[in-house]
Amino acid sequence: MTSSTRILLLSLILSASAQAEVNFSEHIAPIVFNNCATCHREGQIAPFALTDYASVKKHAKQMVEVTGDRTMPPWHADPGFIEYANDRSLSKDQIALFSDWLAAGTPEGDPAKLPALPVIPEGWQLGKPSQIVTMPEPFTVPAEGNDIYRKFVMPLNLDHDTWVSGVEFHPGDPKVVHHILYYLDSTGKGRQADAADPSPGFGGNGPSNGEMRYIGGWDVGSQPNLLPHGLRWFVPKGSDLVVQIHYHPNGKETTDQSSVGFYYSEEPTARPWSIIPVPPHFGMLQGIEIDAGEKEHIEKATFTIPTDCEAFAVNAHAHYLGKRMEMTATLPDGTTHWMLKTSNWDFQWQEDYTFKQPIKLPAGTRLDVTLSYDNSAENPRNPTHPPKRVIWGTSTTDEMGVITIQVMFNTKEQKDTTHQALRDFLANQMIDRLLEGKESIMDLVGGRRGKSAAKALEAARLPLLALDLDHDGKLTPEERIPAIAFIMAGPFMKNLGAIGFD
Amino acid sequence: MNLRTLAVLLIAIAPVHDAWAEREDKAVASVQLTDPAGRKVQPLKNHGQKATLLFFLTPDCPLCNSYAPEIARIVGEYEKQGVQSYAIYADEPAKEITRHLREYKLPLTALLDPRLQLATLTGATITPEACLLSPDGQLLYRGRIDDRAVKLGTVRTEPRQRDLRLALDAVLANKKVAEKFTKAIGCYLPTSPKSK
Repeated sequence: MTSSTRILLLSLILSASAQAEVNFSEHIAPIVFNNCATCHREGQIAPFALTDYASVKKHAKQMVEVTGDRTMPPWHADPGFIEYANDRSLSKDQIALFSDWLAAGTPEGDPAKLPALPVIPEGWQLGKPSQIVTMPEPFTVPAEGNDIYRKFVMPLNLDHDTWVSGVEFHPGDPKVVHHILYYLDSTGKGRQADAADPSPGFGGNGPSNGEMRYIGGWDVGSQPNLLPHGLRWFVPKGSDLVVQIHYHPNGKETTDQSSVGFYYSEEPTARPWSIIPVPPHFGMLQGIEIDAGEKEHIEKATFTIPTDCEAFAVNAHAHYLGKRMEMTATLPDGTTHWMLKTSNWDFQWQEDYTFKQPIKLPAGTRLDVTLSYDNSAENPRNPTHPPKRVIWGTSTTDEMGVITIQVMFNTKEQKDTTHQALRDFLANQMIDRLLEGKESIMDLVGGRRGKSAAKALEAARLPLLALDLDHDGKLTPEERIPAIAFIMAGPFMKNLGAIGFD
Repeated sequence: MNLRTLAVLLIAIAPVHDAWAEREDKAVASVQLTDPAGRKVQPLKNHGQKATLLFFLTPDCPLCNSYAPEIARIVGEYEKQGVQSYAIYADEPAKEITRHLREYKLPLTALLDPRLQLATLTGATITPEACLLSPDGQLLYRGRIDDRAVKLGTVRTEPRQRDLRLALDAVLANKKVAEKFTKAIGCYLPTSPKSK
């Protein structure tokens, strides 16, 4: 044996004896039971259970891999920037334990030291709902193919306005339901679209998201919770629940008939609250146009909050090309806080990130959002090969982008002022895009893209160009005042629907 | 440190051992496994097939299951051209395997390989992983079905390269397989036979 071989073996033995300490009962089980077994248990969404020594040992090598690159547990905020109350990510030390355990030969340790598996009660987690609504018919999910987004209408039949303190979702087939969004529809358009579509539910048509009231969502791995801080969603009488379900085909045809439990409250919301989306309406007027092959396309948006408010949660949204999603809040005193920082956006996971404590944002706080998109062939998530030019749109092969904070106000006036500022923001974006003649807003002015849309875009630009007295292709703040009034009075803003909540 | 830990470590640092290079054709042909009904099958024996296709599968592996429709299509299309396919399971009871084939509509004979004979012979380590062998037991292709899975948790909406089909087409056309080995993505096969 050469001396170098001896040193190699010696170091292996030394490191092995340190690693031999790591065992399932004392080190691995506490992590797995708390951070994985909520989903990885019998009858739950995850494909296999991780609830005892044998099942965890079987997947040990895989767990080293997916915890090591932070694919699991799913959590996409970059570590070390913001503390969130619902953080389910593992620490570096916890991640290291998995590889140490594997290297040690996955020993069980003393079964007497095994912690108890947290008990998740059967049935409704939030208690007996005030009302349970179920999809009227089962929906067939095929064995394979692209993800499916489908909306289902469930009438609530309420004869008076009320408030909701929580909503709980029960997937019919948890193996294929990936995430859902709840909306309230008072327009009746959801029912019409459902009736017009021969299969259960409806697809892309029907009321736009802006025409409905968004009341939250549910994604894989999240536990149902009542709204925090005594907040409530307003539910107008006669409104229908419209649930948008995102299905993942999983290799065999199945059917889903999901249910939703509503928890009503006679008490109104403790405080006015709403959302601040930056840029608003999923970036519809941001002018997102990404060239084929563009490796890092950047979109930036800045919104200044006109009143005091407190942010309690944040989330992001983009499609498959989204990569970096960042929001900072710069307070009037100049201090800057990270609100969300994710370097690896994944369309598959759309978490709400809840702050440990609500963050006070005084009037004049500036929200800066940076979104990046990778439309190169190297992006494995790129849905189009070879890449094609992508512009704003609602289909998953189009792009969009927004970071949204959920905020509480002290008064209704503060909320209304904030909503008005968001509408002004949109009107200004509309002016900018019209002046630029951006293709991505042709849908808004022309109904569809193409020659007729180009004409409509040109027609919509003319009144604005008339306001540009110095003919520099831009509008000064003074020139913008009549321009905003013109945009606000036009059909575009009305078609966009509401901003924020009642 | 016990001997077992040392063994695990030594296996981990050993160069990739190509068992194939050292096996004898006779031994390959005589590999005998049982199907879920207990019938004995010699999958690598020359029964007149143009090639033998092995799919290593695990019933609770999400990637295996998401590939079930494509596996079924490949089996159906290439069976007509003389390719004999088997699903190989390392670690599951017969009942579970039968249920898996039925549930995911996998139209192929399953074989139980608790001693990992085929995994050892072919060098397969992943499920789903495909191995293509000539009638005389030569390994012609080992790896992914296609490149849809990029890594655990990241899949393309559509595959860009259907490696297994390319290999099958090459073999049936008496051509050399362009890429004999590709990296399969999925769950790991056990590295040692189940201790009973």
